[in-house]
Amino acid sequence: MNISRRHFLGVAGGMISSAAAGNCKKVFAARQPKAPPNPYGCVVDLTACVGCRTCEQACNRVNHLPPPKERLDDRTVLDQKRRPSTGAFTVINSYYSGRLDEQNQLVPTYVKVQCMHCQDPACASACITGALSKKDNGAVHYDKSKCVGCRYCLVACPFQIPAYEYFDPLTPRVRKCTFCYERISMGGKPGCAAACPMEAITFGNRQILLEGTRRKITANPVRYLNKIYGESEVGGTSWMYISKDPFEKLGFLSLPHYPMPHLTETIQHSIFAYMWAPITLFAILTGAMWKINPEQINHAPGFQAQEDHI
Amino acid sequence: MKRSSKGKLTIVLMSLIVLSLGTVLAIAWAEAEPDRADKTGFREVLVGLIDSIFERDRAGESKPAVVKTNPPAHRAWHDRVASARQRGKETIPLVKDVFKETASERRARLAYRLRPKDIPAEYNFFVMNCPLVNEEDDFYGPVRFMHKKHASISNDCSGCHHYRPNVPDASETMRCSACHQNSFNPIAPDRIGLKGAIHRQCTGCHKKLHRGPIRCSSGCHEKRVRDHTELVELSRKPDALEVTKECLRCHPAQGEEMLSSTHWLWKGPSPFTLGQDKRVDMGKATVTINNFCVSVFSNWPRCTGCHAGYGWKDASFDFTDKTRIDCLVCHDTTGTYRKDLKAAGMPDPSVDLLLVAKKVGKPSRKTCGNCHFSGGDQDFVRHGKLNALLDFHGSSCDVHMGGLGFQCHDCHKTRNHKISGRSIALPVAEGSRSCNHCHTDAPHQEKSLLTHHLNKHSDHIACVTCHQPVYAKYTPVKTYWDWSTAGDKERKVKRDEDGMPDYAWEAGDFSWGREIKPVYAWYNGKVKRHLLGDPINSEGVTNLNEPAGDIMDRESKIYPFKIMGGTQAADAKYNYLLVPHLEGVGGFWQALDWQRSFASGAEASGLAYSGEYKWVETAMYLSLNHEVLPKVFALSCVQCHESLRNRLSCGRCHQDKRGVDFRELAFSGIDEKLIHLTRKADRSQINETDWLNFKDLGYKGDPILYGGRFKKLPLGWKVASQKK
Ligand code: SF4
Ligand code: SF4
Ligand code: SF4
Repeated sequence: MNISRRHFLGVAGGMISSAAAGNCKKVFAARQPKAPPNPYGCVVDLTACVGCRTCEQACNRVNHLPPPKERLDDRTVLDQKRRPSTGAFTVINSYYSGRLDEQNQLVPTYVKVQCMHCQDPACASACITGALSKKDNGAVHYDKSKCVGCRYCLVACPFQIPAYEYFDPLTPRVRKCTFCYERISMGGKPGCAAACPMEAITFGNRQILLEGTRRKITANPVRYLNKIYGESEVGGTSWMYISKDPFEKLGFLSLPHYPMPHLTETIQHSIFAYMWAPITLFAILTGAMWKINPEQINHAPGFQAQEDHI
Repeated sequence: MKRSSKGKLTIVLMSLIVLSLGTVLAIAWAEAEPDRADKTGFREVLVGLIDSIFERDRAGESKPAVVKTNPPAHRAWHDRVASARQRGKETIPLVKDVFKETASERRARLAYRLRPKDIPAEYNFFVMNCPLVNEEDDFYGPVRFMHKKHASISNDCSGCHHYRPNVPDASETMRCSACHQNSFNPIAPDRIGLKGAIHRQCTGCHKKLHRGPIRCSSGCHEKRVRDHTELVELSRKPDALEVTKECLRCHPAQGEEMLSSTHWLWKGPSPFTLGQDKRVDMGKATVTINNFCVSVFSNWPRCTGCHAGYGWKDASFDFTDKTRIDCLVCHDTTGTYRKDLKAAGMPDPSVDLLLVAKKVGKPSRKTCGNCHFSGGDQDFVRHGKLNALLDFHGSSCDVHMGGLGFQCHDCHKTRNHKISGRSIALPVAEGSRSCNHCHTDAPHQEKSLLTHHLNKHSDHIACVTCHQPVYAKYTPVKTYWDWSTAGDKERKVKRDEDGMPDYAWEAGDFSWGREIKPVYAWYNGKVKRHLLGDPINSEGVTNLNEPAGDIMDRESKIYPFKIMGGTQAADAKYNYLLVPHLEGVGGFWQALDWQRSFASGAEASGLAYSGEYKWVETAMYLSLNHEVLPKVFALSCVQCHESLRNRLSCGRCHQDKRGVDFRELAFSGIDEKLIHLTRKADRSQINETDWLNFKDLGYKGDPILYGGRFKKLPLGWKVASQKK
């Protein structure tokens, strides 16, 4: 999967600035992880998912979104590599890892995409008003009343999950999977997990889930790669995946194993440390102004006229 | 003292003997020919009693055909369906601890202890509708799971019953929900819930074996239709066209689909008509002719009373106009929608269209039956296998619809409003269905000594040949229609004991039959068809359609047919069949003048009329694919194979083996039960063999003695020389 422009700018920009700052060690060391101790989690078993999109339908229902535009039995959308949007907090995409079945047909692997509910979420740390926050039950929760629409979360999220209601000029919101915050707070299950006919999504206490999943992988070494995606990626996520095929072939990004806020906060903190960035910026701007060719200024029509006058 | 006690004993003994004799006599009396026995209430009570003891059903047997409100119900089957539904809803305590063993250990151990044939009858099938599965949403209807069939095909119980409870005296096999219940259960975190367990087990195996459905509503579930009460926006008294417009508001694509369907066009591709297989315009609307009401031409408003549209009253009907589609006739769930059968498809004015529109849903036996049960103008006329009784439970009428509650579309899979299935009487087909689509080419799956033999038979014999030994089981059906005598308004109509008339001045003489033995013929799926304008058979009966097939054609199998005979008019000079115009101006019913009627019919159908007509005999073959009976009512071996009649063992072909009850194998299903079915049929046949009449089918005689069509028993191949 290609890294999109937004992601490239987000990460690459951050790298450059932090490299420029050069002195981020202090900030790194100072930062405390914000992961809740005992959150819920979900494990998506990619070997069990059949791409039926029942979870999409259920998600839209429990979140009061209009039903998916494409009919559920329309399987062509699976190949479109959709992203979560304001009208769909979760989508299923299909990937072909190259594995063949007995009829020599490529075997598809279906990947459910939604907010990963990072243990230490970059979106929340980038949020300047605290509209996004990690709750104790694991949900990264969005509070519309606090949101000022800066959309830093869109840039910060390493998985490019949050979507913004650009079409709504008056009360635009950031939309993303809520981990069915209300439902799980009341002891329920996420809508998608409860609806999945294959139980490809297992919901429960993250720690217990991880233990169970490790047992499952050990017991079925042929069926599963020895890896739980999300166990430690970006410092751990509440949504995790297990698979038979390598994750790189299924559209999963290879991400660092430390929380992304280390990066984003570093960027922000570094930018504003000792006011070096504003000073540099103004210096660059000034330099740029000097660089502008005085002759060009002279050749501007207004100056010309003045000259003529003289 | 002594003597008197002896006397008492004698009296007691005597009265016991008298009582038992009386019971025997009473049973014999009750079992005797019911027609001859007087029908007192007591006799009926007795019959009921005996039936309930032997779990037998003869409901509908002695009831007149016109009584439609008294459904025949086969108790045992009925109970089984009810208890399967009940069991499907139950939840039982969770088995927490299972006995761990490897898959191969378990398979080996179970193979000793359990055979599919040991499955008790009440576990033959399940209606899976557990609340554990439906707790999140309930968009799909319950699944009918044929347990025994699956067990027989896989022949390995351990595939699904992969663990047993870790309690010594527990049952070896438990239902799925004993171990799999709520998903994400903290008590058993490594165990998936019932919903996941079932879905993974089913689709896993279906995918691996490339067999059985794997998508939600392509075979397992029926998708529930949303409640339309709030969605439908109509005035309080809408007319039919307004309703269609409202349907199309949200379902325009479905309207388009309908416009190219057979049910709308009454014509279409005819892949199975010999010599016409590339045509795309064959059907009732264009070229076919029958010996009931003969042809649609000039008779539109009445014939099109069954059209899935509104207002096809003459040749100018616009088949591209979506707004004239009748959605409700198929999608009514209230059971109140009716068409006015003389008004070109318009609904009966008494129907509350608003109510029907708000309650739309999936088609059902009732909606399909609205038209298909009453082919030939009313219920029980045309088919001998499709009638309103199918809408009631009772596997002694039909094992699928009656016994298992199938709806028509459970078999006649429908995609884009194109309904699969075809009839021998009509050329159009939108996909075909046959028993082996579900039952496979080896439909008998029981572990029994007969299975091999029965499955061999299915290469040569259609399922319904054995599983429908007689047709028109509970209701009379028209077998002959003589138009030549029509027009006598004075003639007194006589009614037979079922209340069926022998004459109607509009139509002529009729014959009726009940519990009729079919006519058997080789059939390979193709049909020779007589079309409008084709020359009639000058030497005898003109067959309006005829199954193609031959004893030496490997594709052909023996099928049962109903033959419908008729006398209808042909042009004396041009020698083709004529179309009578019946109702309205110029119609026969108005002026009782055949000349005018034929002239007008000929004009409408585009054929010339010479001015002279003659009456000729015609015949139609009608297939008998419904009213399928379970094995207890199917033909037995001996019923066809004379050579088995006097045998006592399998020793003719097999090494004799003690402990095999030959008579139970070869005679099962015969006599007693069939006698009840064929109460009125030619009873001389009952104790005879050669039910199919091998000689007529091209054999020299019983194939066990003379050899089959390709192979001679008991050993060795040969080219059959007994061709007709
Ligand atoms: S996936 Fe993105 S939006 Fe979701 S919690 Fe992590 S950073 Fe935030
Ligand atoms: S957890 Fe809830 S919001 Fe998130 S994808 Fe599942 S159903 Fe949708
Ligand atoms: S509902 Fe389950 S099986 Fe279906 S697409 Fe979603 S995760 Fe996959």
